[in-house]
Amino acid sequence: MRQSSKTNLAGSLLGVFIVVSALGLIYSSHLCRGFYAQLQDLEANRWALQEDYSRLLLEHSTLASPHRVARIASEDLDMEKPLLDPARVLDSSAVKRVAE
Amino acid sequence: MSRPKSVDNEVSRWRFWLVALLLLSLAGLLVGRLVLLQVLDQDRGASFLREQGAMRAVRTAEIPAYRGLVTDRRGEPLAVSTPVVSVWANPQQLRDSNRLGELASALEISERGLRERIDLYADKQFMYLARHQTPDRARKILNLGVAGVRSEREYQRFYPAGEVVAQIVGLTNVDGTGISGVEMAYDEWLQGQPGRRRYIKDLHGDAVRDIGVVQEAVSGKPLALSIDLRLQYMQHRELQRAMVETGAKAGAAVTIDAWTGEILAMTNHPVFNPNSREGFDYAATRNRVVTDVFEPGSTMKPITLVAALESGKFTIDTMIDTSPGRIRVEGKVFPDPRNYGEITLSRVIEKSSQVGVTKIAQQLGHEPILSVFRRFGFGEPSSIGFPGERSGILPERARWSGVEEATLAFGYGLTATPLQMAHAYSVFANRGQKVPLTLVKRLPGESVPAEVVVSPDVAADVLQVLHRVTGEHGTAGKARVAGFEVGGKTGTVHKVGPGGYIDDQYVALFVGLAPIEDPRYVTAIVVDDPKGDSYGGGAAAAPIYARIGEGILRLQNVAPTSAQEPEAQAQLAGLGGGV
Repeated sequence: MRQSSKTNLAGSLLGVFIVVSALGLIYSSHLCRGFYAQLQDLEANRWALQEDYSRLLLEHSTLASPHRVARIASEDLDMEKPLLDPARVLDSSAVKRVAE
Repeated sequence: MSRPKSVDNEVSRWRFWLVALLLLSLAGLLVGRLVLLQVLDQDRGASFLREQGAMRAVRTAEIPAYRGLVTDRRGEPLAVSTPVVSVWANPQQLRDSNRLGELASALEISERGLRERIDLYADKQFMYLARHQTPDRARKILNLGVAGVRSEREYQRFYPAGEVVAQIVGLTNVDGTGISGVEMAYDEWLQGQPGRRRYIKDLHGDAVRDIGVVQEAVSGKPLALSIDLRLQYMQHRELQRAMVETGAKAGAAVTIDAWTGEILAMTNHPVFNPNSREGFDYAATRNRVVTDVFEPGSTMKPITLVAALESGKFTIDTMIDTSPGRIRVEGKVFPDPRNYGEITLSRVIEKSSQVGVTKIAQQLGHEPILSVFRRFGFGEPSSIGFPGERSGILPERARWSGVEEATLAFGYGLTATPLQMAHAYSVFANRGQKVPLTLVKRLPGESVPAEVVVSPDVAADVLQVLHRVTGEHGTAGKARVAGFEVGGKTGTVHKVGPGGYIDDQYVALFVGLAPIEDPRYVTAIVVDDPKGDSYGGGAAAAPIYARIGEGILRLQNVAPTSAQEPEAQAQLAGLGGGV
């Protein structure tokens, strides 16, 4: 008598476990799908950011190209290379002395 | 109702069991078959069926890997991978579409042209409509929603600095593999690992559901070159300008930082635009600084001078009689431009006297000269591993004639690249040490294995002579840089044609070091076939050095020697008093 009630109990416990693990499986695969969707969103996002980044990188280097800088400096801003004659080299120790 | 109950029961019982047994065995058969097909691994069993199912529905797509960025030493981009979209279609679906007109106008081609292309792929399942489109343009095509038109993501290389660094950075092919230059040499480093993802498709090939990522894409690693884009641009501009002025066919220039062995600038003429493959001139893709060899001529004389000083038979003040301005060796006459008379060894190099150098060679023999050439790295490739790099040739002979000995001493009969010339001169800048070259930026504090090639005293003597070459008696007055003291050596060699040396075609050379008080920047310049009267190293190549050298020193913030310090201090003192 006691033996059989024990078996019954074990059986129903196992049954509950099966149901719980089945539900867990459903839940985890639901989570997995959710995460995968999120991953795809993030990947799309990364792609878009990379698109922006490389475009900005190209724009930046076009704007900062030495060729363009030299042209603007000489043509638009009337700048020229510094002449050597008025240039003076300051000795760092002399600069310190004045600072003191 | 009248039959006995027990008989009735007995009959129905065995009938019941019979039917139950039959039904059960049918069910058992079904289950058994199912187990056979889906669980047991037998011929045409579970794995076979799974495979067949997957073949019909599951597809693997490649996830493109990002190719590493190539930058200069200060982080300016030289090669950038940008996301692009390739639009493709299934011609079977497209053939009967009634929206080809719309599609053609989005593709910016004629409808007839599109139809012809579709007919070309009539028996295929795949055709590209437009490869490597900017995302915006691709979106315009895809947003039409024409059935059978699909897209795939890829990366395309852009070279923001264009022709200025074209030969160094090199190119990739349409699939993103490096095929020349740094792109090829460092392909493994730059290239990422493409990933794979699996998805389920429907009958038309459209993705229905993603199964998952099988393998993540791994991005390529970024690479910082030793090139300084500002120097590179300046050197490029000056070289192109000189090419126009001298009418030369080709040219090359390279600047290295002697202290670290880093190549700071490497420019060539002719050039090409790496961002456009139209009108592509293959010869222009060559990085002549490392791929082209020439006879170095008089630029080798300072190296010969090393052999002379090391022999102990000469100092730079040893007097050498060069009269009567020519010397006969085994029936061949080597002339000087005029009779220099009795001059010091230093003056022999300053004047680039053939007679003087021939006399030295006659005293030394070829062995010590060749051994010095070898120690300076001639005849072997540098350590940069550039695709197509050549090592030049040092002559190997069982027997040496007097003519061969003499010509070896003044730089004929051997070949070298401009990079080797610059590397050899960097030994003088490093007080006798040879530092291995690199095209990749060195890390701060990176220890560089230097090799002692000559003694510091000999290197200092040669530096002094190289400085005098740019002085009032030397051949390279035009190499002088305003405000600075520099050193260097000119060279003029006849070009070699099919029938030997060509009389009226020259290669003009100059190798210079600056600033001479504490040399750091070594520049080698080669001008191939300059036209007109200014064809020599002193007339064609030295002036280019003057401009490049000035640019280098200015951009590297080297203080001009001409600016008087005492005066500056006096001014400063005056300023201080005012406050």
